[in-house]
Amino acid sequence: MNEAILRAESVHKRYGDLEVLRGVTFEVGSGEVKVIIGPSGSGKSTLLRCMALLEEPDAGEVSLEGRRPGRAEVGMVFQRFNLFQNMTALANVMVGLTDVRKLSKREAREQAIELLERVGLKDKTRQYPEELSGGQQQRVAIARALVMKPKVMLFDEPTSALDVELVREVLDVMEGLARDGMTMVVVSHELRFAHHVASSILMMDDGVVIEEAPPERFFSAPEHERTRRFLALVE
Amino acid sequence: MVASFDTHLFWEALTSDPYWKGALLALGLTLVSLAAAIVIGFALALGRGSRLRAVRWFVLFYSWLFRATPTLLQLIFVWYALPQVWPVFAGSWFTPFEAAFATLALNEAAYMSEIIRAGLLAVDPGQELAGRALGMSRRQILRRVIVPQAIRIVIPPTGNEFITLLKLTSLASVISLHELLTASQELAAVGFRYPESYLAALVYYLAIVSVLMVLQGRLERRYTWTSARRRRRVAAPAVPAISHDAR
Repeated sequence: MNEAILRAESVHKRYGDLEVLRGVTFEVGSGEVKVIIGPSGSGKSTLLRCMALLEEPDAGEVSLEGRRPGRAEVGMVFQRFNLFQNMTALANVMVGLTDVRKLSKREAREQAIELLERVGLKDKTRQYPEELSGGQQQRVAIARALVMKPKVMLFDEPTSALDVELVREVLDVMEGLARDGMTMVVVSHELRFAHHVASSILMMDDGVVIEEAPPERFFSAPEHERTRRFLALVE
Repeated sequence: MVASFDTHLFWEALTSDPYWKGALLALGLTLVSLAAAIVIGFALALGRGSRLRAVRWFVLFYSWLFRATPTLLQLIFVWYALPQVWPVFAGSWFTPFEAAFATLALNEAAYMSEIIRAGLLAVDPGQELAGRALGMSRRQILRRVIVPQAIRIVIPPTGNEFITLLKLTSLASVISLHELLTASQELAAVGFRYPESYLAALVYYLAIVSVLMVLQGRLERRYTWTSARRRRRVAAPAVPAISHDAR
């Protein structure tokens, strides 16, 4: 296994009486793709949010190359895209570069157009999110995160809000990223994607990781009864 | 059948100096009061969500104070009572216009803060989350993402507030501000021609509100984010209505 880039060390998180994460330790190495599956409420999204620093863990630590992640060093893609509604596709991708990275408008525009081209949306730069399909919006969201040159990309159920026929175009972009060596953590129940792309698959249940294995072993011989039952339901 | 209506007198009133100036004064007072109210109201709206309990309490107290008392009484208090307890306000700088401006701005801020708060809350929380994931600061997210989207939501109720304020300026006639109502009262008192005098004032109010409605429509389209803005009109999300009132 490659050297770990992103690490979560016994992360705990509770909301009121509900303990969502009960000590999760997890790491992803450079160029790896880890897919997290598990029933709803198992803490998958919360784990991603803690790693993107959108939530502060109650206990435990998140580190990127041994230190606390900096601004946008961990990119995040959301289930519901969350594109800025008042900005065009191009402006959505530019805003992080101009406002956070303090690039000039011209530089930001060039890089943003390059990224939009990479996700196949060069001709949609002037459209507002409302005018794009869900698949197109999600691809813009991926470009918006990628343009910041993150060391790791996190995907929180990136295709589960999409119509069936739009899932493929988003998965294609993600597979392309994986081939290019991007380090990725993906919460998803797209098992075919997991099978093809993942370095390993993690099963979460009730706030802990109960099992981690490479796809072959994970699907053919899951260790836990809980994993077996869950896979039977998803497939 | 109208017994007697002097069209000539009506036109004369309509085009006379006191009416023009009165209307301009009413419009000007409305605009500056609303502008100040939006600024104060925005600060109050942010204060409502403050981490400091004292700040939250102050905002609630403010809102209670200005909404629970009649605007007319507030105006009279500021003009007649304030100078007696606070000598600064007895100076010649404190004219009826300043008194009316201060009262209306502070009063309206209480209403605007509720409207602005509702507008900010109506913006999808996912927008802020995405901003934070990009590493944007709280201030950047507010300025670039949340406020522009809240403006779209806030425009229609703010149009209502403009109309309410415009009408409230007529209250300032009791502190001898020479606005539109004062102008028509003075003309009516001279010739006892009530229909012509007051109708002329009504026409001015109607004209100002008509212009406002056109401008509001344009502003709403300006804050609609589709590239086919001109053709489409997207309904603004509902904002809790503030009951219509004679403040």
